[in-house]
Amino acid sequence: MNDESGHTDYHSRDYPVREDMAHQVKVWQFERWGWYFLALVVLLALLGLFSRGPLSTRDVQGDDGKVRVQYERFHRHGSTNPMQISLSGAPNATVELELTGALLDGFNIETVQPQPLRAISAGHGMRMWVQTDAQGQANLYLTLRGDGLGLFRSRVASPGAMPVNIDQFIFP
Amino acid sequence: MDSVLRAAAIYLALMVLFKIAGRRSLAELTTFDFVLLMIIGEATQQALLGDDFSLTNSMLVIVTLIVIDVGLSLLKQRSQWVSQLIDGGPTIIVENGKILHKRLRHARLIEADVMEAARSSQGIETLEQIKFAILERNGKISVIAQEPS
Repeated sequence: MNDESGHTDYHSRDYPVREDMAHQVKVWQFERWGWYFLALVVLLALLGLFSRGPLSTRDVQGDDGKVRVQYERFHRHGSTNPMQISLSGAPNATVELELTGALLDGFNIETVQPQPLRAISAGHGMRMWVQTDAQGQANLYLTLRGDGLGLFRSRVASPGAMPVNIDQFIFP
Repeated sequence: MDSVLRAAAIYLALMVLFKIAGRRSLAELTTFDFVLLMIIGEATQQALLGDDFSLTNSMLVIVTLIVIDVGLSLLKQRSQWVSQLIDGGPTIIVENGKILHKRLRHARLIEADVMEAARSSQGIETLEQIKFAILERNGKISVIAQEPS
């Protein structure tokens, strides 16, 4: 726009209304850049920056692969998202699972399926026991409702397995 | 506390968004614009109230919005700078029968928009009969006719 600013269209008139073209040009620039910004927000939303999309959906495993967590990295306050925890252990046995860190501060766990055999609170988190199937696999499906704001770091651990650290961010 | 913060955040966000959209966006309401406006309202309403549908919460939200709105108009009255920042100023888009094309382009208007305003407000038929067309602060185009010679 600057190269054209000499054009008479950009000179302020005094009659019939008093104009301030310098300001008006800034307003137009703001509209233009604002439009680019909004388009960028839409693009990022499609990519999942605000939950549910390639940028947000994570599938992580411990170094030994015994604990696997699928979750959403980005949440929105008040909305629900699933989380799936998979454990491998001995067939038809009971495995212990520990959720620690800020998970319970930032989220409401609305449902846990299947129900763990036993669940107790443990320090800042909770400890659950689940039954593995004939292949030694156990899956736990959780529904998390974002209740806090900001970053929440937590950890999913099982005795004898490498723990998995998860970072989740809740938008307002 | 959060009701007030919510309302203030929504007020600010909507103000910036409609500034980006420009003054023309909602001034001339077509049927589709009207539907769009209702959808924006619906989307806003959820965020304003959250999951608290109590009378107190709705009153807090309304009171906050009115306080901000009146406060801003008081500020505008006192400060020319704030007034221009929030409301902008009028822009001349036709001068003595000639369109100021660069201005028209930046305002995202076309000649047909100017002529439509000229016909509906002044019964003007051609561009030459327009002395001034001014894009007002509220996005409407006001037209001043050429004096008959």
